[in-house]
Amino acid sequence: MTSRPLLAEVFVRGLYIVLLVASIWVLLRGHNAPGGGFIGGLLAVAASAAYALTFNATSALQRLPLRPAALAAIGVLLSAASGVPALWSDLPFLTHLWVELPLGIADLPLSTVMVFDFGVYLCVWGALGGYCLGLLRALEEAP
Amino acid sequence: MVHSVGDQETQRPDVLLLVLALFPASMFLVLLYALITQPLPWAASWTWVPSLGIDLTLWVDGLAAQFLLLITGIGTLVLIYAAGYLAGVTGRARVALLLLLFMAAMIGAVISDHLIVLFMFWELTSVLSFLLVGFSHEQENTRRSAQQALLVTGLGGLALLAGFILLGQIAETYSIQDLIARADRFVGDARLSAALLLIFAGAFTKSAQFPFHFWLPNAMAAPTPVSAYLHSATMVKLGIYLLARLDAAFSDLLLWEVVLVAVGTSTAVGAALQTMRERDLKRILAWSTVATLGTLTMLVGLPGQGAALAVATLFFAHALYKAPLFFVAGNLDHGAGTRIIDQLTGMRRYMPWTAAAALLAAISMAGLPLSFGFIAKDVLTIAKAESEVFKAVSYASVFVSGVSVAAAAVAAIHVFWGRDTVPREAHPHEGSWPMLFPPLLLVTLGVLFGLAPTLVDPILGAAARAIAPGLDADAVRNAYDATPVISATLSAVLIGVVIYRNWDRMHALLERAHFLDVLGPESWYWRKLAFLPKLAAWLTRRLQHGRLPGYVLVLIGTCSVVLFALVGVTWPTWQAVEVSAPELPVLLACALIAAGALATLFVRDHLVLLLVSGLVGYGSAALFLFTGAPDLAFTQFAVETVFVVVAATLLVRLRRAPATASSALREPVLRPVALVVSITFAVVLTALLLFVSAQPFDSTLSEYFGAQSVPAAHGRNVVNVIIVDFRALDTLGEIGVLLFALLAALPLLRLGRGARSEAT
Repeated sequence: MTSRPLLAEVFVRGLYIVLLVASIWVLLRGHNAPGGGFIGGLLAVAASAAYALTFNATSALQRLPLRPAALAAIGVLLSAASGVPALWSDLPFLTHLWVELPLGIADLPLSTVMVFDFGVYLCVWGALGGYCLGLLRALEEAP
Repeated sequence: MVHSVGDQETQRPDVLLLVLALFPASMFLVLLYALITQPLPWAASWTWVPSLGIDLTLWVDGLAAQFLLLITGIGTLVLIYAAGYLAGVTGRARVALLLLLFMAAMIGAVISDHLIVLFMFWELTSVLSFLLVGFSHEQENTRRSAQQALLVTGLGGLALLAGFILLGQIAETYSIQDLIARADRFVGDARLSAALLLIFAGAFTKSAQFPFHFWLPNAMAAPTPVSAYLHSATMVKLGIYLLARLDAAFSDLLLWEVVLVAVGTSTAVGAALQTMRERDLKRILAWSTVATLGTLTMLVGLPGQGAALAVATLFFAHALYKAPLFFVAGNLDHGAGTRIIDQLTGMRRYMPWTAAAALLAAISMAGLPLSFGFIAKDVLTIAKAESEVFKAVSYASVFVSGVSVAAAAVAAIHVFWGRDTVPREAHPHEGSWPMLFPPLLLVTLGVLFGLAPTLVDPILGAAARAIAPGLDADAVRNAYDATPVISATLSAVLIGVVIYRNWDRMHALLERAHFLDVLGPESWYWRKLAFLPKLAAWLTRRLQHGRLPGYVLVLIGTCSVVLFALVGVTWPTWQAVEVSAPELPVLLACALIAAGALATLFVRDHLVLLLVSGLVGYGSAALFLFTGAPDLAFTQFAVETVFVVVAATLLVRLRRAPATASSALREPVLRPVALVVSITFAVVLTALLLFVSAQPFDSTLSEYFGAQSVPAAHGRNVVNVIIVDFRALDTLGEIGVLLFALLAALPLLRLGRGARSEAT
């Protein structure tokens, strides 16, 4: 395919950002409404896949914040680390802690749950995204 | 042979090995002190694996104590000997470490009272002996010998484990002492024969009994200190130890008596014949060890109290003369560079001390008066007289003793006396002190105990009492009758002298008997070993054919059979299912799924097939959405979309490759087997689903999560709260799996380091 789908490229460039923002939103709202790290991660994978299909897998890989394996590994480490603070309070590993951060206007609830869920998000994005993009790129490079 | 001759002469004894010898030496002394001060038996117990009922119970009675003395005592001498024999050899520290580990495993095996714990140590000795026999692993022959030793004893070990478990179930205890105590309650059990045969298989492989005897002479590829320790004094006796240990429980069984006497006798006779076929001194000693092991097995099988005493005495005597003879063989190998008896005569001129040790050990081995071997032969003769064995066993035993006399004469007289035929260039020389001290000490003990048997009487008596409870030593002593002993000794010596005089002629005669090699169990072993890779290759060709439909068929077929069996078993307990009419959206979702599934049957184009099967995924997502699982639906939608899009892209690009286009056409329209399998699978799954939905729903968990979601985890989305909070550890495991799956695929996808940068 030598001709470039110009319209699609412009559209997907925007769609990529929108999908990523949406994935973060789904991730954050997950605790109280349908969503969460798994679904958010999958949305991010969808964004990467769309980018790879319109442009190519190599540039989609470059748009990832890190190499896929590093992304997934950091995700797992973050999730595991989110369970550590509980140990300091003599609670079982992965017991999630909550604090209310006063912001003047309202209190912002923060929790180790968010770190955990963010780790899940990163791992799903890195692992599944890595799989999809790796497969696509392998075919692109095939003669 | 690990040595080059000559340059070892100047080697000084290895200090590390001498220091390590202090471990077993101190254990030996502590043990000796404890035996003198503390009355036997000693017992101790710790809980180890309570869920399996495995306790770490130690039990040291006379039999175990005798073994402990041999293990630590001979172990010390073996390490001292190795300090001289292996001086300057690379890997000697490894041998010393493995020997010490082996020692620990042997100690564990003889003091544990629990069958499973005993088995564990038993297996450990097999593995360690594999590593020790395979010391010179750069030689193919050595590797094959080590593998053979491991395979034979390892397979026997498996049989032994099965036998132990069966025995434990029959006896309802795994404690050996309990088992002996309540033996009369379960000896009538029909399963006992099977259990005993399995245990026999384990003991016979370990102790090199016919037809599993062939591995032991081959294991002579090990360095000499290892052979002296494993294959004369300790490991090969473990099988006999187990039989002797269980003898108290089963000695009255006909099966026990017949199998042990028959196998022991045939092993002894066969090994005696094989002894005469060898020219390598170490292999001659190995075969004579097998013959002794056969005699021991036979003695365990014999009823009567004399037999128990004979077992204990022969154990002891054999260790005292066979270990020094192995040391002698090692000294010859070391000093003259060969163990082939044709090239070794008149060696006493070069190795006077070794010659002295060989002579004294040979006297004991031949059972001549004034040696401990004579005492052993005494007791043996009494045992046979007492239990009125078949004439055939008696004759066989005399023949075996005769060959043993001849072998002893070869080791001592043929090698060390007579004409000096050693080639000058071999530079024969005497060993260093660590290579002379151990054999000389052992043979001196042999003479000492032969002159004053009362010194070892207590320990032998205690050992015999452990084998046969209620042993009355006086009864054995009163049964002593000089006539059979003298006649047995005389006939053995006579036969021995005749064989020794005609050794070369007998050797030539037996050497021609090739049918022994063809028919022998060892040829079976090699045939089976050669057959295994062929079988594996055939199976791989049949199962791993590389056709995906075939794999899926096997997979689903297996699942169907298993589930079908499950359905068949649970069928009677099933209840009628109440079917309620589903709501319209659910019905529509189901229709979508069914339409997608049915359409796949009629579509031939792979791309369309993918899209159609995507309908199944979307239908499932819709179903989840309307049955109250929005998160699941959401996930399903996302996964399905990404999967279909990526897979479609891959297909489109693959299609451009020419090779794949034609393969689709060759597939038949209908596969009858696949049809049957898929229908079966569908029926079984439907039945299972109906069964599961008919069960009353246990809502404890969902109620708990629903109630605790907000107060305990501050979240209103129960699904997410379960994923990230209640069951967070599971989720951590799942994303770990995701990560590792990617890591495994990295080389395939070439996504490793530099994948991002190489494109720029």
